[in-house]
Amino acid sequence: MSVGEVDLLVGIPSYNNAATMGQTIATIEESFQQNFVRDRVVILNVDGGSSDDTRNILLQRNERRNGGHRGLTSLRTVHRVSWAYGSAPSSGLAVRTILAAADLLRAKSCAIVSPTTTNLTSSWVANLLRPIYRERFDFLAPLYTRNKFQGLLARSLLYPMSRAVFGYRIRELYSDEWGFSGRLASQCLDQDVWHEEAVRTRPEAWMAVTAISAELNCCQYFLGQKAAPASGTGPDIVEAIRQAVGSLFWCLEKYESRWLNRTGSQTVPTFGPDHELSEESPPANPEKIFEMFRSGVNELEPLLASILASETHAQVKAIALLDAERFRFANELWVRTLYDFAASYHHAVLNRDHLVQSVVPLYRGMLYSFLVQHANSSADEMEAGAEQLGLEFERQKPYLVERWKGEKLR
Amino acid sequence: MKEVIIQGLAQAYTNLVHMLAEFLPRLLVMLVIVVVGLLVAYLLKTLLRAVLHVTRLDRLSEEAGASRFLRMAALPSMTELLSRSLFWVTWSGFILIGISVLGVAGLQEQISRLFLLLPAIFVAILILFLGLVTANFLSRAALLAAVNAGYPSPKIVSWSIRFVIWALAIAMALEVVGVARQTVIAAFSIIFGAFMLGLAIAFGFGGQDLAREFLERNLKEKKREKREEPLPL
Repeated sequence: MSVGEVDLLVGIPSYNNAATMGQTIATIEESFQQNFVRDRVVILNVDGGSSDDTRNILLQRNERRNGGHRGLTSLRTVHRVSWAYGSAPSSGLAVRTILAAADLLRAKSCAIVSPTTTNLTSSWVANLLRPIYRERFDFLAPLYTRNKFQGLLARSLLYPMSRAVFGYRIRELYSDEWGFSGRLASQCLDQDVWHEEAVRTRPEAWMAVTAISAELNCCQYFLGQKAAPASGTGPDIVEAIRQAVGSLFWCLEKYESRWLNRTGSQTVPTFGPDHELSEESPPANPEKIFEMFRSGVNELEPLLASILASETHAQVKAIALLDAERFRFANELWVRTLYDFAASYHHAVLNRDHLVQSVVPLYRGMLYSFLVQHANSSADEMEAGAEQLGLEFERQKPYLVERWKGEKLR
Repeated sequence: MKEVIIQGLAQAYTNLVHMLAEFLPRLLVMLVIVVVGLLVAYLLKTLLRAVLHVTRLDRLSEEAGASRFLRMAALPSMTELLSRSLFWVTWSGFILIGISVLGVAGLQEQISRLFLLLPAIFVAILILFLGLVTANFLSRAALLAAVNAGYPSPKIVSWSIRFVIWALAIAMALEVVGVARQTVIAAFSIIFGAFMLGLAIAFGFGGQDLAREFLERNLKEKKREKREEPLPL
């Protein structure tokens, strides 16, 4: 099937998503019918070797196009293409295939959505595409309503650290949905980084940092509440840290010339509120998290000694000796700990994957401290705390630069 | 009598002169070989050092954890260690060739034996080094996995892996050098077999309940435990 040039492209990376694929396609089609009736559009499914009917669902829908969309009919053909890029799923390969298609079809605005997002709406799709299409942005990050105690890795590490380092206040660098321009797609395709683990596992964060570093126009769009993934899906803490923190540290290494001399941070244009927290009760048994922090600091002492500055390590060991009731992981120590990790990653004091995995027990300490401290906090109080943490990351950035440029600890 | 003594001394002197006339050129050749060997060894050392700097071996060694062990043993960096090793192996080879030129009876056979051993020693050192790096990498990976999953006694798991790989590397190195070959193989088989059998018995018979609990916790309750911690992203 010949597609020709398109205005809009929506990519759907998939792997055994037969249960939700039909709904995802229907939602995207609906969005096109409602919002982009005059535009040339394509839906591109890239599949990582599904053994179920994921791809068939897309092809079957092809035969009953425009059926049952509340009387709305697009003036253009809604092309649907499915492509199997390999026999095993790979986020990086899937995104690369989508970028290559976007470049080939000269798409002006592109979005990637995940079939695992069970509450995807047509307005989400439109909101991911429109600012790039109409207002010439190059990268669009989503914003979601967060549950109070979910997404803490993003809120206590990924967002404040990337904000302080790269100087842009983009909250969701790691997400299942995002939008980008054809120009950014071409720039990303030209880079010889697709074999890197950080890009293969978390291409969206790398795309965001690429856009920031190239000083392209970035924005955020508030999409709404994102449904929690079904039980058993989504990465656990260890896997999430390996992927997301490993990817962030790699981006620091890759783009060091762009951030070493940058100070402060700036906001990016945001459509809708820039944060929203929903009520949720804290986890029932946070003491177990604290025990895992304490045993981790004890068992990994030789590793932490080679990663952290001696003063930082001494303070971490000291707080690990405190009672659970008196335990607090102060922002200042948390920030210095992470900057030590980033600098040690740069100096490769040990295998980088092992180094990133060593963050896990310390993150658990921060997590426990956060859960106890904010058990009864309001959304505003939590946001104020997050802002303080972001400012602390910015305040201590010279420490990171000093350690980054300095000799490794010995 | 006097003439006999003088004749004897003259003969001895002649023999000495003759021997020296034969020996001194050989000594000179030996010295030339040793000096040339020194130059060649130095050249090779410099070349290898440059190549290893380009290939960033030190960084690799640092990442794999081998450098930490070298520092503990007060040894230089990996690049320096390998280039110095090459220097000494090369120069030793030239020195042995030089000594063989002297033609001293009895030394030839010993030198031949030493020559035959040199490659084996080099291979043994390489095996030990690879064993060290592999043991360190895998034991650290196991330690991190066990700590982050919250398993009890992660250091025991880590040290067990380190011990098994070390034992394997040492047995292989000794086998390559040919030191008590049969004894080494037998000793390794006994130790390794006993270790594994001990684990199997301890886990299979002594720890049936523990094994059941372990498997249930990992296979059945993994999802539930995963959700005890808030979603990170």
